Amino acid sequence: MAVCVAVIGKDNSPLYIGGVGNDTNTDNELSRQWLVHTALDALEERLATTNTNTANSASNASRTDLRDLYLGLLYSTDTHKIYGYVTNTRIKLVLVTSSTSPSGSNIRDAEVRTALRRLHALYADAICNPFHLPGEQITSSKFDRQVKNLLLNNV
Amino acid sequence: MADDIVFELLHSEIINYVLENSKTSNGSKEVDLSLVEYIGFAAGYKIMERLTREWPRFKDELDTMKFICTDFWTCIYKKQIDNLRTNHQGVYVLQDNAFRFLTNFSNSQQYLEFAPRYVAYTCGLIRGGLANLCINSVVTAEVQSMPSCKFHIHVQRT
Repeated sequence: MAVCVAVIGKDNSPLYIGGVGNDTNTDNELSRQWLVHTALDALEERLATTNTNTANSASNASRTDLRDLYLGLLYSTDTHKIYGYVTNTRIKLVLVTSSTSPSGSNIRDAEVRTALRRLHALYADAICNPFHLPGEQITSSKFDRQVKNLLLNNV
Repeated sequence: MADDIVFELLHSEIINYVLENSKTSNGSKEVDLSLVEYIGFAAGYKIMERLTREWPRFKDELDTMKFICTDFWTCIYKKQIDNLRTNHQGVYVLQDNAFRFLTNFSNSQQYLEFAPRYVAYTCGLIRGGLANLCINSVVTAEVQSMPSCKFHIHVQRT
């Protein structure tokens, strides 16, 4: 069961952090931010290795894998698992699942991948909103609603 | 195709509008195309997020430029760039032998002096697209003979 998703901008400033389930109250805001930010270092490490590997022209199979936008499991704590996805435009999408709930412990990689791909599509649509300025926080309530729907229905 | 002509007409109207505005504001004969360039920048920035959605991560800058020449150009102008040149030091020259905004004009020298107006938007489009991919650049255009146009991209390194 996913508990939280975040959209992080090019300069690592959070553009959107949203939670679902019993995690939506504002008390958990800090812990959500903390969870998301623990993953950023791991995420940048992955990106750095991607670049060096391609420069050294590593084996073809691993290279195509590393060029995938989905980066897989980044970090896991006792209670949560954190998955990452980085777009070509350096926008980082982070999804946190709870590993303590019965449905969360056996979540499949493919499910997280589809959820993050859908989130990317939603983000691309939100960017095309003429009232949204690049680099600003996403305040669109439509985006918020769509993301929450996505989390409740798909992951 | 009807949807192409809408974009072309809107583009030429934007240019007419901006020229009209700059005429009334300062009275000089100098034409100010920075607004057109900015409109292009905003459009390029937004379109890039959508275009690169199904695309694997770019290897390097040249890979990105190839994307601009093929997919980006096809999406907007329904054709690919005819020639891409680079000095491998951050300067890229994209040549389009039949640039769409210029193909409606006479092939002679008749309207050559007005050509810069019709390439400013595209300069902004390229610059905005690259800016969203974290490449800061200066894009200029050069028209020597009518339907063909060269875009010079200077990548700014910090």
